[in-house]
Amino acid sequence: MIKSPNADIRITATSLVSCLGAGRAAHLGAMIDGRSGLAPCDYGDLAFSCHIGRVAGLEDLTFPVTHTAFDNRATRLALAGLEVDGFADAVQTMRARWGAARCGVVLGTSTSGVELLEQAYRSRPADQPLPSGYSLRHHNDHQAVTAFLQDLLGLEGPSYTISTACSSSAKAIVDAVQLVRAGVCDAVLAGGVDSLCLTSLNGFEALQLVSRQPCRPCDAARDGLSIGEGAAFLIVERAEDGASLAGMGESSDGINMSTPPEDGAGAAQAMRAALADAGLQPSDIGYVNLHGTATPINDTAEAAAVSAVMGDEVPVSSLKGAIGHTLGAAGALEAVMCLHAMEEGIVPGNIGLETLDPQIQCRILARMEHAPIRHAITNAFGFGGNNCALLLSRS
Amino acid sequence: MRFTAYIDALGFAAPGIADFGALGKRLQGGIWAAEPWEPAPGCLAPRQAKRLSPAIRLALLVGEAVGPALGEDAAWVFASSVGEGETLNVILSALCEPDMMIQPLRFQNAVHNAAAGQWSIAAGIKGPMTSIAAYDQTFGAGLLKALLQARLEDRPVGLVLYDAPIPVPLDEKRPLGVPMGAALALSPRQGASSRAVLKVEVTTGDATEPRSEAAKALSATGNPVAAVLPLYEVIASRMSGSVMIAQHGGAALRCEVECL
Repeated sequence: MIKSPNADIRITATSLVSCLGAGRAAHLGAMIDGRSGLAPCDYGDLAFSCHIGRVAGLEDLTFPVTHTAFDNRATRLALAGLEVDGFADAVQTMRARWGAARCGVVLGTSTSGVELLEQAYRSRPADQPLPSGYSLRHHNDHQAVTAFLQDLLGLEGPSYTISTACSSSAKAIVDAVQLVRAGVCDAVLAGGVDSLCLTSLNGFEALQLVSRQPCRPCDAARDGLSIGEGAAFLIVERAEDGASLAGMGESSDGINMSTPPEDGAGAAQAMRAALADAGLQPSDIGYVNLHGTATPINDTAEAAAVSAVMGDEVPVSSLKGAIGHTLGAAGALEAVMCLHAMEEGIVPGNIGLETLDPQIQCRILARMEHAPIRHAITNAFGFGGNNCALLLSRS
Repeated sequence: MRFTAYIDALGFAAPGIADFGALGKRLQGGIWAAEPWEPAPGCLAPRQAKRLSPAIRLALLVGEAVGPALGEDAAWVFASSVGEGETLNVILSALCEPDMMIQPLRFQNAVHNAAAGQWSIAAGIKGPMTSIAAYDQTFGAGLLKALLQARLEDRPVGLVLYDAPIPVPLDEKRPLGVPMGAALALSPRQGASSRAVLKVEVTTGDATEPRSEAAKALSATGNPVAAVLPLYEVIASRMSGSVMIAQHGGAALRCEVECL
């Protein structure tokens, strides 16, 4: 068997926050119970009804007084993510072990802190300048959340932001592994953050892709997505123990900004590349976590790709029915949920599924099952036809 | 640790400067001043171009300069600090109206990787594409990512760097002066068309400042794409030199450049 070139690069700590709560226990509990965190929308003054995956309590977090310049909903999500599962301590251990200059930061986000800029626009009299105190650099800039974490945690290695819409933070994990593999960094804080905002909610509504109900991935009656928010972080470093990103695959559809080809050719290419990178066969994979947004076209295209590459035996599900589509955070958040499920010996179910779409041939798990999973693939696809498949291996 | 990569083609575009050749003349004793300019890539029909933002048109224009030097197996890295500033303003303005109606085409082209996506469609690219940002150190981040892919994935990489000014009222919060774009075709191996070799180390230290009058004037616009100019000055001189390129957070890439 070919040894993955990433075998000695491990994921040594993780954290996550979503509408299911903060940390490993909240997410594992929900996956075991088959619980969704989606609820009727109580965010913004939308002209339509929908369900959202909102993180509770962000408004009440104590923001560090040293970094109030960065205070917005996205950085609050990041902060909420840092504070669980001992992650902040793990970051300090990483920094002490390798030295600040050897520790990089790569995050994925699609909208960064645009939520605060929306408020600034809406509260300003027409044709007036933005408030003098508003800093684009600290809020809406794509690097804002990454810069906040780099500064807050005192990490001095290379840092940047990947922003490829809904594949952003899956690709941030790819970069973290590449930075360590190439020897640029000894450790990288990787992850993703995206907050609820009027731009995403109204934008997906304009594309007629928002469901009026909690989203139902892979269901015959699915009619769109539910938008969520969240943050997830991983420490990627050279270590002997821990899960690993055994393979990664990236591709572009190259045909349309928001709609994949019916056969999911780009998705299939990404999954094949991830298998090849890991030196594994489809039969080695115990679970496929779909991008599974619950829009009519996306789910059938992705399922067709899974059937073509993986066959129809492997258990498959989408986590979007539980946490919604967390956009740029989805790749990292769902990767961390997969790692927890693998560690616990469960395969998560596909929340919201009642009647399977007859066009979907692969084995969608409606309910959670107990099974040892050694290797899993998690998919993240974004606007621009941007596809990323991560192949995760348990320690 | 060290990266070696070959530069097989270079692109540049700014008001009054059509390509890298024209830039090279300015860098060797010329001057530069801003003038009105609309980037118009050849791969878009005029009607199609009208539907896309100035940032996307700019990115496609410089992408075209290096595309022919890259094979089908190339990966692409699109690096922009601001990304889709014009579209952001259109959407935020729509959110100020009671119905908050956003145009669907505007929304799907609002993402930071809109230019990368449009380039993949225009050029029929099926391989990896990344879209990256790191404030004023966006060139350093894009170059680092391109070097990682060239080495670890053993493939050529197209690096496209672009930033276009944002409209009022955002412009005063991030003044970019003029649209500016640059592109590099990088390869892990020397080829017949290789123009320079880069040997790159990750270190710390101050970024190299531009030396020529034209590069100083382009840098004074505030557009972070100008961070490419110290490297371009060495290549335009057809000599060898060392250039420091900043990373966000204090690190830097030391690039030893040798023209071939």
